[in-house]
Amino acid sequence: MSEHNAPAPKSADDPAFVLPASLAALRLPLCVVGFILMLAGWLVASKIGEFGDNFGMAVYLTAAVYCITIVLGCLFFVLIQHLVRAGWSIVVRRIAELVMVMIIPMAILFVPVIASLWSGEGTLYRWDRGLEYGVEHGLPKEVWSEKLRWLNQEWFTVRTVGYFAVWIGLALFFFKNSVLQDKTGDKAITDKMQYWSGPAVMLFSLTTTFAAFDWVMSLAPMWFSTMFGVYLFAGSILGAHCLLAVSSYVLQKKGAMRDEVTVEHYHDLGKLIFGFVFFWTYISFSQYLLIWYGNIPEETEWFYVRQIGSWGTVALVLIFFHWMLPFAGTMSRHVRRKPGLVCAWGAYLLVMHYVDVYFMIMPSVEGESPGGVMGVVASIMCVVGMAALLSGLCLILAQQNKVVAVHDPRLRESIAFENF
Amino acid sequence: MSLAIPNGLDNSVEQPGERAPLVLGDTTYHDITEAVCQVAERKPSTSWVIGFLISFALLQWLGICILYLIYTGVGVWGNRSPVFWGWPIVNFVFWVGIGHAGTLISAILFLFRQEWRTSINRAAEAMTIFAVVCAGTFPGIHVGRAWLAFWLAPYPSLNLWMWPQFRSPLLWDVFAVSTYGTVSLLFWYMGMVPDLATFRDRSVNKWRRMAYGLLSLGWSGSSRHWMRYEKAYALLAAFAAPLVLSVHTIVSFDFAVSQVPGWHTTIFPPYFVAGAIFSGFAMVLTLMIPARKMLGLENLITIRHLDNMCKIILATGSIVGLAYGTEFFIAWYGQVQEEKFAFTNRAFGPYWWAYWTMVTCNVISPQLFWFKKLRTTPWMIVAVCIFVNIGMWFERFVIVVTSLSRDYLPSAWAYFSPTWVDWSMLIGSFGLFFTLFLLFCRLMPVINMAETKSTLAKQYHVANDGDH
Amino acid sequence: MSENNEKKVHGVVAEYTSVDTLLSACRRVRDAGYVKTDAFTPFPVHGIDKALGIKPTVLPWIVLGAGLTGTATALVMQIWMNTIDYPYIISGKPFLSLPAFMPVAFELTVLFASFGAFFGMWALNGLPKFSNPVFTDPRFDRVTDDRFFLYVDSKDDQFDQGGVEKLLGDTETDYVQTVVDDDSSDKVPKPFFMMWGLVVGLSVIPLLIVLKMRVSNSSQPRFHVFYDMDFSPAKDAQQYSTLFRDGRAMRPDVPGTVARGEEQADLNYMTGINMEALTAIDRPRAERLVRRFNPYFQGETDSAEDAKADVAEDAGQGDASGQGDADQKTQGSEPESAAAAAGDDTSETTGSESTDTDGGASQPAVAEEKPSVMDTTPWLDSNPLVLNEKVLADGRRNFGIYCSVCHGMNGSGNGLVNVRAQKIISPDWIQPSSLHQETLYADKYPDGKLFSTISNGIRKMPGYSGQIKTRDRWAIVAYVRALQLSQNASIEQFKDIDESERAKVLKEQADTKKALKEKADAEAKAAKEKADAEAAKAST
Repeated sequence: MSEHNAPAPKSADDPAFVLPASLAALRLPLCVVGFILMLAGWLVASKIGEFGDNFGMAVYLTAAVYCITIVLGCLFFVLIQHLVRAGWSIVVRRIAELVMVMIIPMAILFVPVIASLWSGEGTLYRWDRGLEYGVEHGLPKEVWSEKLRWLNQEWFTVRTVGYFAVWIGLALFFFKNSVLQDKTGDKAITDKMQYWSGPAVMLFSLTTTFAAFDWVMSLAPMWFSTMFGVYLFAGSILGAHCLLAVSSYVLQKKGAMRDEVTVEHYHDLGKLIFGFVFFWTYISFSQYLLIWYGNIPEETEWFYVRQIGSWGTVALVLIFFHWMLPFAGTMSRHVRRKPGLVCAWGAYLLVMHYVDVYFMIMPSVEGESPGGVMGVVASIMCVVGMAALLSGLCLILAQQNKVVAVHDPRLRESIAFENF
Repeated sequence: MSLAIPNGLDNSVEQPGERAPLVLGDTTYHDITEAVCQVAERKPSTSWVIGFLISFALLQWLGICILYLIYTGVGVWGNRSPVFWGWPIVNFVFWVGIGHAGTLISAILFLFRQEWRTSINRAAEAMTIFAVVCAGTFPGIHVGRAWLAFWLAPYPSLNLWMWPQFRSPLLWDVFAVSTYGTVSLLFWYMGMVPDLATFRDRSVNKWRRMAYGLLSLGWSGSSRHWMRYEKAYALLAAFAAPLVLSVHTIVSFDFAVSQVPGWHTTIFPPYFVAGAIFSGFAMVLTLMIPARKMLGLENLITIRHLDNMCKIILATGSIVGLAYGTEFFIAWYGQVQEEKFAFTNRAFGPYWWAYWTMVTCNVISPQLFWFKKLRTTPWMIVAVCIFVNIGMWFERFVIVVTSLSRDYLPSAWAYFSPTWVDWSMLIGSFGLFFTLFLLFCRLMPVINMAETKSTLAKQYHVANDGDH
Repeated sequence: MSENNEKKVHGVVAEYTSVDTLLSACRRVRDAGYVKTDAFTPFPVHGIDKALGIKPTVLPWIVLGAGLTGTATALVMQIWMNTIDYPYIISGKPFLSLPAFMPVAFELTVLFASFGAFFGMWALNGLPKFSNPVFTDPRFDRVTDDRFFLYVDSKDDQFDQGGVEKLLGDTETDYVQTVVDDDSSDKVPKPFFMMWGLVVGLSVIPLLIVLKMRVSNSSQPRFHVFYDMDFSPAKDAQQYSTLFRDGRAMRPDVPGTVARGEEQADLNYMTGINMEALTAIDRPRAERLVRRFNPYFQGETDSAEDAKADVAEDAGQGDASGQGDADQKTQGSEPESAAAAAGDDTSETTGSESTDTDGGASQPAVAEEKPSVMDTTPWLDSNPLVLNEKVLADGRRNFGIYCSVCHGMNGSGNGLVNVRAQKIISPDWIQPSSLHQETLYADKYPDGKLFSTISNGIRKMPGYSGQIKTRDRWAIVAYVRALQLSQNASIEQFKDIDESERAKVLKEQADTKKALKEKADAEAKAAKEKADAEAAKAST
């Protein structure tokens, strides 16, 4: 009931803190299969002529943004736990820490996007074609040339490198210190991480906001929404919590940290998932309502293409299956206290998050239909491949380290933690 | 029964793995009861009487101004074409924002299991209600014919034969603010019932006992009652948390659904909410720091509480700063001529002084809270918080007045200047707020005794645990 | 304890000083098999529900129900009020605007759910309940301070006072007491009634005052709370004002403007009617017409009486001219003559002209036979404007703006609106007239009448006097005449064309006619041959 009743944490060498062998065995197959699947998906998508040359690149970008949002969500999770000196979450924090380091492979996986940009043919980002695009679309020259000062290959690349540099720096700092504590058990490390978490959160919010503007919003070069960074972030933090629920469940099934992660932690993750479903709804509804109500042509274009035809159906799918269904499904305490159900909802929402990202990116690129059966299959191949590749890499990292922060001074509190 | 915690310990420092105590001194359950009840039971102090008289005088002045306004018409305000939403709406948004911290402390921090909220939530909730009263006054009188304000309600009217317009954000506002006021009141009152029962049981005077007896509804402290009570409390907290988000969101819709440059921007909802929490916390601190000193509650409202609140102010202040920056960036990035103008005009137009006051107070001054020294020195906290309050008032002024005074039609541009009635009402609304708050301090339990005791019970638990 | 024995015993209570002693006592009592037990504590003690065996509450279900009721109420209310009962368009949004209904739906969900939680909780707890047997013990006052109490109810099946007291005495307590009936008076203290009476009495007074005011008469003038709203502070004529330098409240006309009624109007020009002639045959109508353009005009007839007829004028003009239109017997005109025949209220509107014409002596039955007022009106025969290229160009421009959408650019009666109406088979559409039918030529339909039709409308066509200036309406008349000429002019109408030109045109005409005839003949011949060939084929 309270922490004095709880057993003391197991010793740091306990097998419960090591990645189970059955999962460790998957790491290389996942990497190889994932890589192949990702390339296959990308190639298939590029070969589907009917949607134009840029379809393949768009599919790749969607997969990349999807993975980056979840990785960033995990990074934010770690930062915020340090910032508020959270006790309950210590047992699952390491999983998030392992995932956030995947920002390094993501930086490499992002190279093709930048490379396509330098082709200068507007294959993905239409502003890439420079003044010519503005002339074609009848945009006033002074407006368009002003925008090109922000949206151009050089500056875009510099910014992207900057974002990744910040995130990699943050991820490595917090990961290395946390792992160091596994070895030394030095309590001062916790203080140090807490001390830096404040500025880190500020840097994080600044970079994610602008990354969302650059990578996703600028796909529709004339469209703008101040909320957009928050919108992408809402999905990202939701995805991170879902991933934590799913991975803890899988790890426990395979034998790791069985006594450490309890039903109470699933209950909390369930509450947070519920909360962030609501937050996502709140942000996306507010953005839609303001643009719908204002009804200004400069702004409605983005929702207009997403409201007609098959994109309209996708929008309805998001309303019903990204909001209503999970909202009703995770409302009850009884659901949240069943680890299997929390994991199932987590997995489900990870799928819905992909639909959300797809809905954000694809209409701006190819603009007409959700891509046809082959297009959808190719994009799923691509994203599943990329996710599998990252999981494989993540498992490699997990195998070299513990799956729980074994010497965190609050570990005992976390294990004993109870909702009331 | 005593705790092994020395008096006067700085509990803002927390060793990792050991939670710092939230109740200081050799405090017992009974000490908490005594500390809180003496506030209401002893004779009012001179400073209370003086404060009350000043606030009450200001409240009378507000009343006189309202009568003058109703008798003469809204022309007594500085509201002129094109700025028809002058100070009254600025004050409305300001006060609604102030209220948000109370609900945030009582509901959101409750849901996040932040136990340090227990000794400040009561007063913060009270502040919410009084702030909503102040806020509600302004749109009420701003409608012009205040005695017809009931037309806003969707009632079947026999002489109008019409219904209110539910597609208007102003009506959403009516629903949001009244729901907010009602739910806050329920939440506040419900949280207070066990403490009112304490007042009842301590009363010596028969009449006092009867009055508190009525208010506490016959509360006996039964475990079954406590169980349902806690469930209901958690449920109300779970509703109040999204409610508090929705209220300022809807207030932001009042602006953002329109097409006025500088108002129509999608970041408004989260940005308004962050701003509201920001200003509300600043107000809580401005009130709490003198109150804890005057009422002798330093062991219950500790430095740690202040430190935590300062951090929240720093975080929300930075969010607000980020939102200002994003707005500016998107105004340029969007390349819509009117938007670009609106933002340039804010910073460098005729109201540049308001804009830079706002930025200084809201973005720069809370950054001082990066220094621990400032977060733990009460008078410095009060100073920064007063700046924040001023800044947040100016934020609303900047939004309302600069956008309206120069919108699409240059021929209609004008410079807004407030009249003495505007000034009087702003100051008078503080009179209303402080009158209610001071009365609350005298008549109601200012700290949630029951919850503080359960925090203390947990502390005992840990302390006993450490012994064996 | 002995003095309490005569009173009804409700149960036994024991006092504890800490959470831990209370909890262990709870467990003992539970394990001893007692069910009807309760603990009283100054704050919620965690784990006590397990220690006492308290079941979870149904409150969340009540709240869920209340919340859903709130959502449904809000949605039904908004849809009923703004979509069904009182629909009107605002900012171009659909009547059923779900996104706009969401905020209020959310608020009411929260409001109802909160009511459910708040009132549901008190109801389930059976509160307010001011008299409780446990309150009889003064020591129990500390339950809201720092003491914990465990209570075993006498209604428990295995309750036995001695046994329970012993059981509780064995726990870490130094105070065990029986709980007995509250013997204090159950009467509400008198001052409460006095207070209540006072409040009710005071609150009734304003109501009584209002009631008295409603039912009684008074010779005193009304009390004006908002004087400015009841009496306009605007100045009357000839009053002094400090606002202007000349001290006069009345202001001279602003240079370059004409005040209402001050215009020296040429009424023939304004109405398209020869007013002198009209005055001769129908003085009241002429006066009404004058009053329409000059409200200050004092005629011979009583102005109040024909105020109504004045309104009828507008309607009558349009309708009556419909009857005058010989070519198009439309649905519009027929019901009216029928109505006139029936002599009901609408005949006042439609037949008012004829009624006025013969001095009020007419019978509804004969109204049909009388010539229409449109035919008897002395219309102007010629356009009062001096016709030149500019006038025609203006006419053409305004015709293009206002008339062509229905009548077509060439006046054939097939403008875009008509095309659309035909396409969707609009049931109440009346085909616009072609301007090229002979009944609309200047000899049958004088310029003044055409002007009046443009100004006042006819059938579906609205009057355009509010949108097109008088001069421009005349210009349209001129342009319509030009259009008519353009379609059906004969060369004889043009006297001043030189002979060679005339011969050329005539020759061209003849050639075209001839070519057309030859072509028609050739086609007829070919068709005949083909038919013959087929017949021959069929017969063989």
